[in-house]
Amino acid sequence: MIKPFIFFECIALVKLSGRKASNIIEFLEIFKRVSPECVFHHMHQYFLRSSAQPIHYTNDFAVWVAEWLEEKSLAERLANINPYAYASVEELRWETIHIIEDYLTEFPPPRPVLPGGEFYFSEGVTIVVPTGLKATNVEEFTECLEKVDRSSIYFHFFEARLRLGKERDDFSEWLSTTLGMKDVAEEIRGFDAYLFEIDELRTRIKGLLVGELNESRSIQENS
Amino acid sequence: MSLDQYRKIAEPGEIRAIERLAYRLKGRSFIHVNATSVGGGVAELLHRMLPLIRESGIDIQWKVMKGSKPFFDMTKNLHNSLQGKGKTITKKMWELYEETNSRNAKRLNLEGDCVFIHDPQPAGLIESKKGGVWIWRCHIDISTPDLVPWYFLKSYIERYNASVFSVSTFAQSIPIHQFMVPPSIDPLSEKNIDLDDEYVNGVLEKLSIPRDKPILLQVSRFDPWKDQVGVIEAYRMVKKYRDCRLILAGGTAADDPEGKVVLEEVREAAGDDPDIHILLLPPSSDREINALQRAADIVIQKSIREGFGLVVAEALWKGKPVIGSAVGGIPLQIVDGINGFLVHSIEGTAYRIRQLLHNPTLGWVMGGVGREHIRKNFLITRHIRDYLAMWIAMENSRQKVIYI
Repeated sequence: MIKPFIFFECIALVKLSGRKASNIIEFLEIFKRVSPECVFHHMHQYFLRSSAQPIHYTNDFAVWVAEWLEEKSLAERLANINPYAYASVEELRWETIHIIEDYLTEFPPPRPVLPGGEFYFSEGVTIVVPTGLKATNVEEFTECLEKVDRSSIYFHFFEARLRLGKERDDFSEWLSTTLGMKDVAEEIRGFDAYLFEIDELRTRIKGLLVGELNESRSIQENS
Repeated sequence: MSLDQYRKIAEPGEIRAIERLAYRLKGRSFIHVNATSVGGGVAELLHRMLPLIRESGIDIQWKVMKGSKPFFDMTKNLHNSLQGKGKTITKKMWELYEETNSRNAKRLNLEGDCVFIHDPQPAGLIESKKGGVWIWRCHIDISTPDLVPWYFLKSYIERYNASVFSVSTFAQSIPIHQFMVPPSIDPLSEKNIDLDDEYVNGVLEKLSIPRDKPILLQVSRFDPWKDQVGVIEAYRMVKKYRDCRLILAGGTAADDPEGKVVLEEVREAAGDDPDIHILLLPPSSDREINALQRAADIVIQKSIREGFGLVVAEALWKGKPVIGSAVGGIPLQIVDGINGFLVHSIEGTAYRIRQLLHNPTLGWVMGGVGREHIRKNFLITRHIRDYLAMWIAMENSRQKVIYI
């Protein structure tokens, strides 16, 4: 009996902390104490936004430093953080702190932002809802992947990495452990995920699976 | 009006989520309280939301508080104070606030599973809380309030289970849960429903506006924060390079002396320019506004201060490029350079108008992206989904991930 892949979608509510920073020192002090969910939220909320928004930087910290503090060099260093290179959100938090503190030893602190440009700390509350869609083989999985909302890809791919740990996601886990598609799973885990738009990610995973299906069909036809 | 009518418009996942959340909340009571049943964005939204939520099996009720003219004068002042521009509120006025809220608490049955109190006027009803989840929904910008009135109101707000703001910068340091839920537009309302060209042309003809040159439009009430005079200045800068018309459409309440002053200033600034059309429309002009937005080539929202500025979403929904000030909720709706432009000055407004008149294709592309941006983020279905999700989140407030 194959364990089906059950597709969920999610609603990411934004919960405001009421805490704000108007300069980098204040930012650092608050950032050290915020919840892990807050760190994760600001690193990932970009992916659930509408695709009308251009790719600038994918984490909120880098965007704020670039747009409001106008410290391009620090923004680039923050943007280059790959959250999946760390085993936990705490490690990710300390790497971010390290980058900022390191920068402050090289350069004087930038001026505070003008009123209205403060960084507002928030975190996500995720409500997970079943879609009623499930798959027991690659064909069904591909069909479902096409039907689900963007929030489903976010939940199974990005949010899963918080649940499952380093570079693992629900899709590659199921494909690998249930269907034995270890190569495809490895390819998915190897994506530079932090630079993918959700819809692009959907297309790439679907492309890999359709390729696999075509290959196995042509092997069957030739044998 | 039924949820089914939104299936072809909204994201399918949004409708699925509403159905799942509503299934979980079926038969439970959801009470909304505000200060007026007609006029204003809150009443308009509740009118549209109610049937959709009721259809999904939730026992939703909308109750309206009653108060005397002095009470509403006081709460208008409170409203201005919370936006940082009020007059002194005396002890006697606060006593009236408390008395009115207390009287309404006795009159209205507020025993429900989830009680949503909209804006400051009925915030004092929290005194009558017996059970359920109580949420204070703030629709205005309270980012820089006058401190004394805010501290007074805060003593009530702190007793709610949660508060909801439209923009993150409006949040305050209060020891309760705070959520950000932006408002929304209803694509099937009179204000936003599709109109054919014949109807649009008919409205312009009726208003004596020829369609012989590009039309610039700002829709907003005549108050000092909307800066219609600044829009006229920008139009004059543009007019040196490109021929165009400017429509300033809005309303002003009969009992609003400040609005009349602004209207006079705007008329004076417009002078006898036949290409500037100042339209004072009655409150029942939703279809006419819809037609004007559809007829416009460029929509402007040059506010100095703004709550959320849903008129921007309305214009984007109609596929129009929007030039708006980077204040309040406008930056959430306009992605600078993608579906419109964010501006910070009269000169910036003029420059972006010239740019769009010079390159209409750019405006057309921006309009297309804008409509999709609104569809994905600012439709009533997303708003309903978020309210139901928030209710569930508050009933499970210790959890950060909640499985339905």
